[in-house]
Amino acid sequence: MITEDITNKKVLSKGNYAIAKASILAGCDCYFGYPITPQSEIGEYMSGKMQELGRAYVSAESELAAISMTLGACSTGVKAMTSSSSCAVALMQETLSYATADELPLVLISVMRGGPGLGNIYPSQGDYFQATKGGGNGDYKLIVLAPSNVQECVDLTYKAFHLAHKYRNPTVLLADGLLGQMMEPVEFKPYPYAEIDNSDWALTGAKNRKSRVIRSYAPLADNQCKFVEKLFEKYKTIEENETEWEEMGTEDADIILVSFGSTSRNVKTAMKLCREKGLKVGFFRPITLFPFPNKRLNELASKVKKFITVEVNMGQMINDVKLAVNGKASVELIHKAVGAPPSPEEIQSQVEELI
Amino acid sequence: MATQVFKIPKSLKENMKYSFCPGCDHGVAVRLVAEVLDELDIQDRSVLIASIGCSVTAYDFLDVDSVEAPHGRALAVGTGVKRAKPNQVVFSYQGDGDFASIGLAESLHAALRGEKLTAICINNTTYGMTGGQLGPTTLLGQKTTTSTMGRNVEYYGYPIKIAEHVALCDGTAYAARVSLDTVANIRKAKQAIKKAFEVQLNGLGFGFVEILATCPTNWRMTPEQAHERVRKEMMKHYVPGVYKDITETK
Ligand SMILES: Cc1ncc(C[n+]2csc(CCOP(=O)(O)OP(=O)(O)O)c2C)c(N)n1
Ligand code: SF4
Repeated sequence: MITEDITNKKVLSKGNYAIAKASILAGCDCYFGYPITPQSEIGEYMSGKMQELGRAYVSAESELAAISMTLGACSTGVKAMTSSSSCAVALMQETLSYATADELPLVLISVMRGGPGLGNIYPSQGDYFQATKGGGNGDYKLIVLAPSNVQECVDLTYKAFHLAHKYRNPTVLLADGLLGQMMEPVEFKPYPYAEIDNSDWALTGAKNRKSRVIRSYAPLADNQCKFVEKLFEKYKTIEENETEWEEMGTEDADIILVSFGSTSRNVKTAMKLCREKGLKVGFFRPITLFPFPNKRLNELASKVKKFITVEVNMGQMINDVKLAVNGKASVELIHKAVGAPPSPEEIQSQVEELI
Repeated sequence: MATQVFKIPKSLKENMKYSFCPGCDHGVAVRLVAEVLDELDIQDRSVLIASIGCSVTAYDFLDVDSVEAPHGRALAVGTGVKRAKPNQVVFSYQGDGDFASIGLAESLHAALRGEKLTAICINNTTYGMTGGQLGPTTLLGQKTTTSTMGRNVEYYGYPIKIAEHVALCDGTAYAARVSLDTVANIRKAKQAIKKAFEVQLNGLGFGFVEILATCPTNWRMTPEQAHERVRKEMMKHYVPGVYKDITETK
């Protein structure tokens, strides 16, 4: 185990470096990547550190290759990851679909930037759909974790490796350019999860046992149905056990602001500003985007009049909130397309307009 | 006393269901791979990277740990397996469409990096599994379902000589082209496959064999006619031979 990065006090770190260091501490055995702003520091850090530690590192020829290398490494049971951003994560969708079908513990760090197309390198939450709904084919889900500060970049990177291996399902850490580039005090504690046994499925050579095949090809319709149904039973278990969120001031709220990731920080402050003005406003932050906290939002919907989602996109998570609320309360949107999140004051004044 | 002269290689699965078309050279190629795995005694430490195409069912025949790669990504997946487990013997079994069209970048970059991998590529001058469309190796003049008047340069450009391209990569330790049209050539093919594994086992670099093979179904030919075509048409443009062998002392 690598201990040099473990700190017993807070140190200042950029989000991207924090993610990279956390993956080293989590025991990531293999990293494969291709550069793209605003996450290139992850690959830069990994290139040196992995070689220093004698672990696997490849500068892949493309994101198609990078994620496929990650799939290959994962098939042997090791901890492997890749990192990328927006238009380049788009290139990875086919292999993500394969990796869910193959039930492989792949970890993808996705640091969102502006889109569509090449877009720009400003922060954005425009890839909420890309991460939670997927651009790959077929019925599948990725586990998606959304940090809101640099400390969570560390903690949720640990968790991403843990959940990926626990459920043998590709897991995405969905950060954005703001988190990737900002510096914050952060503590690197040791990886808190126990190692998960993979000796019953990993490809290690068929020595003294039957050979194993990791495949998605199911030529018979019946087999494919059974397989996908089994996959969805697993997703149900994940929903039951792993749904995570943060809420504040929801006990007496008339209005709840819902926001994820870096945007949620200003939303939390805006909620406090609203409270100072005597408005009964609460705050709700999904930490897992899949599994989404549907049940809790539905419970809250029985007590409040209105939900307002605050997003840096044209309104993506709002769809999931609407589904969760299921008509019990109105759901509105405060947003901007790309860039730094709206300020607490801007949010507060827009909330007042919407009341 | 009776002596057994022919038996099923240990590296082939028991009770396998033959799934290639009758007379297809895929069957011969897969068997040769199995024989080589036996002879080098590496079955229990090998990982097969299955590719998308008729080639994918190799994992139904070869009794080794296997993982399936998305179309074209076989050697990226292979790179991941090998880098994660350097002591495993990792090899791909791919069609020419997989290796040299959709996967050309992954294939050549694996060779350029000198990955300690073995790649077996079946050149049947067509996309077999999808019904015989024009692929990267389809010969000039060849009629396919997407070149019904024959491949011309104006619309389709030129076919790729795969082994020659792989041989140009500095990380390639061995690159050869073989055919399966006669018993003598099948023997040569097996030696080439063995060599492509040996360079991996000796840590020398990327090992590659392009196998000229028949697709009687999509060529609309009998197996004999198909082998005749391999000899008369394919071997003229795709000349068999060893294009690189860094173990050869000159
Ligand atoms: C990304 C993607 N594109 C297209 C296909 C459809 N497809 C399946 S197999 C194949 C061609 C395979 O041809 P080749 O690699 O030459 O192998 P063969 O079947 O001839 O052995 C194609 C195009 C696919 N599965 N995935
Ligand atoms: S379609 Fe062609 S390559 Fe595929 S199994 Fe049949 S004969 Fe062989």
